[in-house]
Amino acid sequence: MSVPNEENLSSHSQLSSHFFLDLLDSIIVDVASECHRVARLGLDSNLEEEDEELKLSAQARVRVADPSNSNEANGKYVVDIFGQTHPPVANEIFDCMNCGRSIMAGRFAPHLEKCMGKGRKARLKVTRSSTAAQNRYSRGSPSPGSTYSPYSNYSTNSMNRLANGTSTFAGEEHSNGTLES
Amino acid sequence: MKPKASVNRPPTPDVAENAPEREPTLQELINIKLIETGEKERLMELLRERLVDCGWKDEMKTLCRAVVKKKGRNNVTVDELIHVITPKGRASIPDSVKAELLQRIQTFLVSAAL
Repeated sequence: MSVPNEENLSSHSQLSSHFFLDLLDSIIVDVASECHRVARLGLDSNLEEEDEELKLSAQARVRVADPSNSNEANGKYVVDIFGQTHPPVANEIFDCMNCGRSIMAGRFAPHLEKCMGKGRKARLKVTRSSTAAQNRYSRGSPSPGSTYSPYSNYSTNSMNRLANGTSTFAGEEHSNGTLES
Repeated sequence: MKPKASVNRPPTPDVAENAPEREPTLQELINIKLIETGEKERLMELLRERLVDCGWKDEMKTLCRAVVKKKGRNNVTVDELIHVITPKGRASIPDSVKAELLQRIQTFLVSAAL
């Protein structure tokens, strides 16, 4: 009795393996014909571009991980993604709109912190507005004897600049001299 | 005389052809049953899903693309792709997928045998 069962099981396993390979071959033929069609019709140009992008991103990752490249980055000039070189600290010079001094762009923020009496450090010193104003004037401002408040001083300077026509405000300046924010 | 001769000829080839056809009956019969019951199509779709899930199909596509680049897209034929892919494809089937499909096929064979 057991002999026929064993024969059936072995024949079933052989038959199932045979049918599985048939199914697999069908799928392999499907994949091959699909890829062949894509290749002949040139539909895989996007894939080639993606491969190229993957290569470039891999190269970029390697370059970032390389210490010698980081040394170059720490050097005097920095190269941005467009290949242009920039100094580590912005060296463009312009006039401060509050006190009229010439300041480098890279050092404008700390200068403003002192000049306008605001920010982290200045907040500790300020006890009275008049005291802050006197300190500001004593630093060599053009009008040390003035009794105006800081904001009126600011507007005075801005009006002077508008009269000169050399204002550097972010607002839009019209030919008639008016300023729009 | 001629009509009778033409009438007598057909039975002879049928008898001769029947003999070789009967020998491979088992596999072909089961294959016909697979197709008739729709089980073959279901198994095919299941196998496709499993192979896509495990990344087998993407590997095959990558192999095909490599062959196309090697030979040039205008010189490659489907037969060459099949010839290159088949051994690697058969070898890289995950065991879990193969076991699942074989189990389902055996279940069908047992039910068909009854």
